[in-house]
Amino acid sequence: MEVVPLSVGVASQRWDDQHLDLDAAAGQVGGAGTDGFTRAVSGAASRFLTQWQRHAETLGTDSEARADGLRVVIQDYVSSDEAAGIDLFLLSTYVTEQR
Amino acid sequence: MTTITLPPQPRPVPLLTCQPGAVRDCGGDLLAASAQIDDLGTFVAGDARIGDWTGRGSERYHETIAPIGRRADSMSLALRSVATRVDAHADELQRLLDRRTDLEERRSHLAGEVARLRGEIATATEDDAAALQAECDRVRREVEAYETDLTTWSSDLAAEETAMVQAFQRVQEAEAVERIWGGVVDPADAALATKPGSGASPGEVSTWWDSLTYVQQQAIITAAPGAIGNLDGIPAGTRNAANTVALDRDLANWTHTESLGVLTEDERTWLENARAADEARRNIADRVDPVTGEPIETQVYLYDPAAFDGDGAIAISAGNLDTADNVAVVVPGFGTDAESAGYQADRAATIYESTRYLDPDASNATMFWIGYDAPDNAPWDEGFDGAGVATESMATAGGEHLADTIDGLRESRDGEPAHLTAVGHSYGSTTTGHAAHDQGMEVDEIVFVGSPGVGGDTNDAGDTGIDPEHVWAGANSRDPIADLGNHGWVHGETLFGAGLGDDPAEDDFGGNRFEAESETRGGAFSFGDHSKYFDHDTESLYNISQIVNGNYDAVEHADHVYDPWHDGVQDPEHDRDPTTPATR
Repeated sequence: MEVVPLSVGVASQRWDDQHLDLDAAAGQVGGAGTDGFTRAVSGAASRFLTQWQRHAETLGTDSEARADGLRVVIQDYVSSDEAAGIDLFLLSTYVTEQR
Repeated sequence: MTTITLPPQPRPVPLLTCQPGAVRDCGGDLLAASAQIDDLGTFVAGDARIGDWTGRGSERYHETIAPIGRRADSMSLALRSVATRVDAHADELQRLLDRRTDLEERRSHLAGEVARLRGEIATATEDDAAALQAECDRVRREVEAYETDLTTWSSDLAAEETAMVQAFQRVQEAEAVERIWGGVVDPADAALATKPGSGASPGEVSTWWDSLTYVQQQAIITAAPGAIGNLDGIPAGTRNAANTVALDRDLANWTHTESLGVLTEDERTWLENARAADEARRNIADRVDPVTGEPIETQVYLYDPAAFDGDGAIAISAGNLDTADNVAVVVPGFGTDAESAGYQADRAATIYESTRYLDPDASNATMFWIGYDAPDNAPWDEGFDGAGVATESMATAGGEHLADTIDGLRESRDGEPAHLTAVGHSYGSTTTGHAAHDQGMEVDEIVFVGSPGVGGDTNDAGDTGIDPEHVWAGANSRDPIADLGNHGWVHGETLFGAGLGDDPAEDDFGGNRFEAESETRGGAFSFGDHSKYFDHDTESLYNISQIVNGNYDAVEHADHVYDPWHDGVQDPEHDRDPTTPATR
């Protein structure tokens, strides 16, 4: 089995951070006001914001999926018979999602 | 009987219901979100790559993330383009509103003219007919010109609305984003590759920025606000745009993370600092210019919520730093960190209001500058020992930052240089003294208020490097902090290794002392009197404002503090009745 370095765990957390930040961006887009536009424009603005909130959420979901994928890799490795070394304990701390 | 033809009634101007400010806010939200999406692209191209992981699993991972990075890049560019268009739409709406106001005034005038002519015709004689017809023809031509302009206005509004709707619809779907923006190189990338290194002077930075195209500049503001937001030599308006993107993004991110209950301790500190910056800019923007009645313009000149081990760095101006005739930088002191930004913003806005009130013909900008690591040990919290244990090390380091900031303000302006004043309050006066003495800070005026000493190496006004005629001191006779400076021959910093230097209000120092008593002063020393220098309708604010405006003849001078060999320190201001000059 291929060795999984600690950096995989670090990357998984960074993907989680991206997920959080992109969810925040999605909320920011969805929460942007359209009251200032004229009636001729406000409808198009609302549709755009709704659609782009979904785009940002999708990117966030994809980021979370990358984090989850890396955690599966870590889980498989620390559970295997071939895992060894002083980094094993530290690596196992990344198996659980922190946030 | 001759027939006289009246001019037609001018058509009414259609209503235009919109709020350019709210539209601009919407654009700001989109810009901040695009910056976040851009960060994902940067992350995928950099930190997401795991260099020390090899094998099939690693290959699959890196193959999987590449499309996410490409998608993030194209989406950030698409969203940025719409955000920029929304911002331009806000500007155009404001112009259309202004044009509508003008048209409305013309229509009202012309309607009055038509009514007048109708009245005159009703009582006219045959002899008046020719002259009245000529007058009617003149008004008719004015109505026709008005009608033409009204039609142009209406079509301009319709065209602008159509263009905005198309901008929204053009990249609404993900497929369209990929088709239009997929593979497009971010203009920020090449521009950032030529950015001067970390040791570059404000002048070098300014030259680099001016060498970029408008498109490149706008791209950097969104894609890498942190690269220029706090960079001396970048114009204040640009720094404000970049820091606004960064601040709005941070507020959204950390507020969201907080709502999920997973905010780290560091992030909580940074969020509090970001909220303080937000409060500060609102404090200023909610007030109005006393001359124009318009909201005061704000510029976020410095925003780094994590600086100084979490104390944070924030500087925000009331007024436009790029164009103002007179610019003041207020340097706060003991106990200041980013969380006090709201309080400091109030001071900056107050000075702005006062300077404008006292000289309506001059444009002004006043910036509070929390740009150095100030002592946490505030004397009013910890007694005199708090000030006593403060040394000059923080002022020395802060002075270097302050001088760089002044250099940056000077270098980044086009046209006439500003009349620039550094106002150091409390320990901030020590920092200001070091900036002048150690760094050769290039200001036109130095104002020390409530000073505990201006640094051990500054023995007189001439040591600041500024003409002593332009070195000023304000000291309330009841302010205990202003009494901490060295007097006479006693020099604490050299005798005991503590103390912050000479009192700039003393006769030996050789600067100008101005009146700074407060009508609400106590009978004895009171820490409360240390915080009244920037209150409206006080001698201190009045005189600071006159100095900032360069109106030296209007400054009310005070007799200096002196320290006779046969007696204790004497303050002639102690027994003078304070006045309340109007500052608003």
